[in-house]
Amino acid sequence: MSGVAAIAEGVASGAAPAAGVARETGERLRHSAGLNATLHWSQGLLDRDAARIDRLPIEERKALPLAGVPVAIKDNIVTTDEPTTCGSRILEGYVSPFDATVVAHLKAAGAIISCKTNLDEFAMGSSTEHSAWGRVKHPLDQARVPGGSSGGSAALVAAGVVPAALGSETGGSVRQPASFCGVVGVKPSYGRVSRFGLVAFGSSLDQVSVFGRTVDDAARVLAVISGQDRNDATSAAQPAVSLEPARKDLKGLTFGIPREYMPADLDAGVRAGIDLTVKAIKDLGGTVKDVTLPHTRFAVPCYYIVAPAEAAANLARYDGVRYGQRRIGSEGDVRALYRATRGQGFGAEVRRRILIGTYVLSSGYYDAYYRKAQQVRALLADDFRRVFDAGVDLLLTPTTPTPAFKAGEKTEDPVAMYLADIFTCSLNLAALPAMSLPIGRSGGLPVGAQLVAPMFAEARMLSVAAALEAALDASREVR
Amino acid sequence: MSIRREDVLHVARLAELDVAETDLPKLVEQMGRIVGFVEQLNEVPAGEEAPPFLAGPGRTPLRTDEVAPVPLVRPPSAIAPEFIHGFFAVPRLGAMEGE
Repeated sequence: MSGVAAIAEGVASGAAPAAGVARETGERLRHSAGLNATLHWSQGLLDRDAARIDRLPIEERKALPLAGVPVAIKDNIVTTDEPTTCGSRILEGYVSPFDATVVAHLKAAGAIISCKTNLDEFAMGSSTEHSAWGRVKHPLDQARVPGGSSGGSAALVAAGVVPAALGSETGGSVRQPASFCGVVGVKPSYGRVSRFGLVAFGSSLDQVSVFGRTVDDAARVLAVISGQDRNDATSAAQPAVSLEPARKDLKGLTFGIPREYMPADLDAGVRAGIDLTVKAIKDLGGTVKDVTLPHTRFAVPCYYIVAPAEAAANLARYDGVRYGQRRIGSEGDVRALYRATRGQGFGAEVRRRILIGTYVLSSGYYDAYYRKAQQVRALLADDFRRVFDAGVDLLLTPTTPTPAFKAGEKTEDPVAMYLADIFTCSLNLAALPAMSLPIGRSGGLPVGAQLVAPMFAEARMLSVAAALEAALDASREVR
Repeated sequence: MSIRREDVLHVARLAELDVAETDLPKLVEQMGRIVGFVEQLNEVPAGEEAPPFLAGPGRTPLRTDEVAPVPLVRPPSAIAPEFIHGFFAVPRLGAMEGE
C-alpha cells in the first residue's frame, strides 16, 4: 500500500483515481475482518466519498493535501455517516448529528473516512480487550493484544489496510499500541488539536492523536487536524503543525535519557532497541546525556486518580435520559432508571473506573487522593520543565516496558494492566507532545522508542523522528 | 486503607450504578488493590510543591459575541427518542417516583 503523499499525488493528478483507492481499501477491510479491528464501514460510503473527490476539477484536487487518502477513525470520535459507540453497549446505535472538528478537517482536506475502529470501551484499557464488541487481535500474532485503547486503529495501520488513522490518548492509548504494532503514533501537545467531538474520558488529559505507517504519513495527517478551534475552549492559540523535511543529521541537538525509564528489569529486547537508537543518534551527530525525572514512579498512581475522577464526572451523562440506551429499573423510579441504564450499559472496566473515580472524589477522601494527585501532577510536570530548561532538546525513552503481551494475560489484574502505561501516561499528565517510533523487533514483535518534546515542539520532534526512521531498520531483530 | 463491601455499595449509590451481588466480592478485592496502589502518593511529602499546573490555556479565551449555527446534519427530532412540540420528551419523573 502506498503512503499518504503518494496516494494524494496519484488522486490529484488523476493517475490513480480515488475510486480505485476506495475499492482497494474495501478489499483490504474485508480481508482483515479477522482482526476485529473495525466496527463500522461500508463500501457504499467509501465509493460515494471517492466519487466526490474524483469529480472535482484537477486544480481543486491538487489543493487537497489528503486527496483520496483513506483514514480510519477510532470509534470515540463522532462522525455523521457511521455510528459512534465508544465500544460500549450503552451507545449502541448512536449516530452523531455533527462531525468532530478533526473529522471535518479531514473531509475538507479530501480524505476518505474509511471506517470506525474498535477500542477499549470509552478508551479505558491498554489492550483493546475491553470492547463490548470483542477484542482486537495483533496483526503479527493473533494470540497477542495490539495494545490499547486505540488497538483497532493501530492494527489496521500495521496490517496495511490504511496508511493513517486517528486514535485518542488519555494515558498512552496511541503510543503504546503504536509500539506494540510497529507503527508510528503521535500524541500532540494538549490543546494542539481540537477535542470537539472526541467523546470525553479525562478532559485534562485527552488528545486526538495520529497513527501512520511512517513518520511522514502521521505528520501529514497531524498537519491537517491541528490548529485552534472556537468550539474547544481548551484548544491553544497555536497554528497547525508545520510539515518540515526530515533532518539530514542531528548535530547541535541534545537528547536526554531519563534514568527512571531504563529500570533494571526492562525487557532485554526493548533495552537493546534503545541502545541501537542511542547509537543512531550519536552516528547522526546528536549528543546523548543521562537526565533524571525524580517523580516518575508516581506517574501511574497519579494518573489512576486523575483519570478515573474525570471519567466519573464525564460519564455521568450516560443515564438513559441525556445519552445512552434507556433501561427501566425494577423499582420504577428515576434513580432505578439511571442505575439500570448505567449498570447494564457499561462494561466491567468502565464500571470499575467510575467507582474508583467516585471514591477518590467523595467526601472524606478528596484531599487524601484527588488533591494529593494534583500536587504530584504539578511535580511531574515540573520535572520535565527543569530538564528542558537545562538545555535538553528531546527526551528518548522506551515506549513500553515489554513488547506486545498475550491476550488474557492481564485482564484479571487491573494494576498490572495499568502498568502497561508506565512510560506514556506522565506525558499526558504533563500535557507534552510525544511519539512512538518503531525501532526494531524482539522475538519477531515490534519495539518502539518514545521521543518527548517541549510544549508545541511537534515539528522538531517529527523531523528528528524522520531522521531516525531513515537510520534504523525497524524490521530487524535488535538482539 | 482497605475497601469494604459497604464502601463499594456507597460509591455505587453515589455514581448511580447498579452493581450485581455476584460482582461484589471481585469488585471489593480489585478496588482494594487499586486504592492500595495509588496510595503510593503518600510517599511524596506534603510540603514538596511545584508551580500550580494547568493542562490548558491559563485563562478561558472569550469568543466573539456572534451567534453561530450548530452544524447539525439532522434535526433534534431525528436524534431524540421522543421530540414533541419542540421539546425533548423524557420519562415523567414525578410519575416514576410514585406521584
